[in-house]
Amino acid sequence: MGDGSVELFVDESLYPLEAVYGASFTFLDRCFVFLDRPQPGRLRVILSAKKLGASPEVLREMVGEFANELLACAWREKITERNRATIEAVTMQAIGGAMGPPSLDDLEDFDFTEEPFEDPLGIAMSWEEKYGKKTAPPAATEGDEE
Amino acid sequence: MSAGVDFAALGLEGLRVDHAAPFRMRRVAEGATVLTALDGRFAILDDDELRAFARGEVEEGSPLFEKLAGANLLADSFDVPAAAEMLRARRSFVGAGPNLHVFVVTLRCNTSCVYCHASRANMDAVHTDMTPEVAEKCVDFALSTTNPSVTIEFQGGEPLVAFDVMKHVIEYALERNANLGKELEFTLVSNLSLMDEEKLAYLIDRRVQICTSIDGPADVHDQMRKLPKAYGESGHALTLEWTRRINERYREMGLDETLYHVEALVTTTRALLPRWKELVDTYVDLGCRALFLRPLDPFGFADKTGDRIDYPREEYLEYYRRAVDYVIELNREGVEILERYAAIFLTKILRGEDPNFLDIRQPAGAGIGQLAYNYDGQIFTCDEGRMLHEMGDDSFRLGDVHTSSYRDVVGHPTVRAVVIAGQLAGLPDCNDCAYQLYCGVPPVHSHKTQGSIFGRMRESTLCQVHKGIQDYLFAKLAEGDAETRAILERWTTIRPREHFLHGA
Amino acid sequence: MRELRFPKELYLGEQVDAALNVFARFGRLERDEDELTWIVRVHAASAAKERRLAGELANYALGATIRARGER
Repeated sequence: MGDGSVELFVDESLYPLEAVYGASFTFLDRCFVFLDRPQPGRLRVILSAKKLGASPEVLREMVGEFANELLACAWREKITERNRATIEAVTMQAIGGAMGPPSLDDLEDFDFTEEPFEDPLGIAMSWEEKYGKKTAPPAATEGDEE
Repeated sequence: MSAGVDFAALGLEGLRVDHAAPFRMRRVAEGATVLTALDGRFAILDDDELRAFARGEVEEGSPLFEKLAGANLLADSFDVPAAAEMLRARRSFVGAGPNLHVFVVTLRCNTSCVYCHASRANMDAVHTDMTPEVAEKCVDFALSTTNPSVTIEFQGGEPLVAFDVMKHVIEYALERNANLGKELEFTLVSNLSLMDEEKLAYLIDRRVQICTSIDGPADVHDQMRKLPKAYGESGHALTLEWTRRINERYREMGLDETLYHVEALVTTTRALLPRWKELVDTYVDLGCRALFLRPLDPFGFADKTGDRIDYPREEYLEYYRRAVDYVIELNREGVEILERYAAIFLTKILRGEDPNFLDIRQPAGAGIGQLAYNYDGQIFTCDEGRMLHEMGDDSFRLGDVHTSSYRDVVGHPTVRAVVIAGQLAGLPDCNDCAYQLYCGVPPVHSHKTQGSIFGRMRESTLCQVHKGIQDYLFAKLAEGDAETRAILERWTTIRPREHFLHGA
Repeated sequence: MRELRFPKELYLGEQVDAALNVFARFGRLERDEDELTWIVRVHAASAAKERRLAGELANYALGATIRARGER
């Protein structure tokens, strides 16, 4: 953006892209944000004050706050991953409890033709499907081959 | 240094941890460190005890051993089922659905508060009154909650301006609930300047709980909450007059005055900070049993008037400590009054229970514990989310009573986002804070002040307040004074106010 | 004229296009690309307007990219 801009170079081994995205998103209302990757593993973040003529103090504060937010996002990503199971369980319980079971009207609107969810452990399979005797398919006869 | 603990100063050069169950720690006073366990139990150690713990020199059967084992802080005696049960108790509200439904029946208000976050409208702005049709839809929505308990809280503006709407809501809700059988309560948040005997008679008859604001001695209150002369000489005088009148009515009805009285709240502005004693005395003279020393929040007019009325949070904490020290001293003299912030935290700390105060719990109440209905039927995660809407930010809007279903609203992606963001285990700083299990920071506050619902707690004024209050409470507990402990424990007693329940 | 070069690794093409659609009426926008970047050339009535238009367009493209990636 030229004048009124500051650049921040970010080592992706310390600050993953998702953290850069997270920090950038929170700044979109405060400044213009532009991302670049000048070399592998290194991002450049350009922050430009929305108003022309921003003072060095304003720019300094902008980049300082961005760096703080970036650190918070990077660390939060690690913490969330570590505590993912708890956070997911509480979230599901909170939302599920608040929503309650669907009514008949809700079920009427539900699209049962949607693709079923993935079921790698075969939980949704019936016992017969999973463990029942596997019978060989009937031998093809001349008439079946049409 | 870890959470204020200077290991070098304590002469600790290397820590043993294999004897310890997971814990978090924080220095709360000179010579006092609190350790909190995974399940929220705690132990306060003096420096000798801390050194012994850090070196792994905890002799079985010793007083230190008993103290640590009792708080589930030792690996060998870590009680997994008990920890799980305690954690479940601390989150007993999760999964219950919204119980608080804030009805903004009008934006009209006859008072101009300098910190107003209600986005008030002038008294002729009748288009900001909730219509009966919208009111009924809001009631239907509220009663759709999965929670067996529903509180409808009337807010504004000044709700008494739209008293007819209030009555319509109450009558319609009672009628609908006759078939539903929920535990239904009504609460009114009002400046009381428009109260009269007729309104009071109705509110008493319909068992509506009444809350008001008293921001300190008269000059401070009237300076911050400007009431036009047409309504009275002093808003403070009117509020006190009606508070006394309402309390008198409860006594006449034979209700226990320790349980049934007008609840009053403080919004602390800069002018009030040096006058903490007068504030407490005002509440005591009025017969109040609780005061809630709330700091300013960042919503509404407070943004514009902050230069005049806001303050560094260190100054707020100094005021808080002095005021609560004085409240405790009064308690020693037999005066029954508690401080609400302290009571909320102490219930979690000392009882292992959660009083379900929606702004200090995790996940926060936004969307899953409360919903806010604007006068036009738009629905928000909370009243603060509605205030942001009035300021041009619709981030917390979930839908409206005309086109949205209940499940759409509480299942909204925004609700999911704030539920995740409100879990402190996922936030930097909070994840290893000693107070994690007692605390809560509403994502809407972080969004407003920092641009992100996750927040950066090092810069959060709310985190600063919560940490400061909890530091003060733990320092009090660390003093080891039995009478102080007994007073603080009394503040955690939750007595249900069954008189206000309908349909139970 | 201002030229914005959005790395394809960092910005989604359909979101850059979405930004172009939203801001088309505020100036003359030209779209191009090379192997590694989406290129947008911004023409407006003055340098200040070009700066602002380029900035808002870039913000929109970035915000939309982040949102779209989050939904995947």
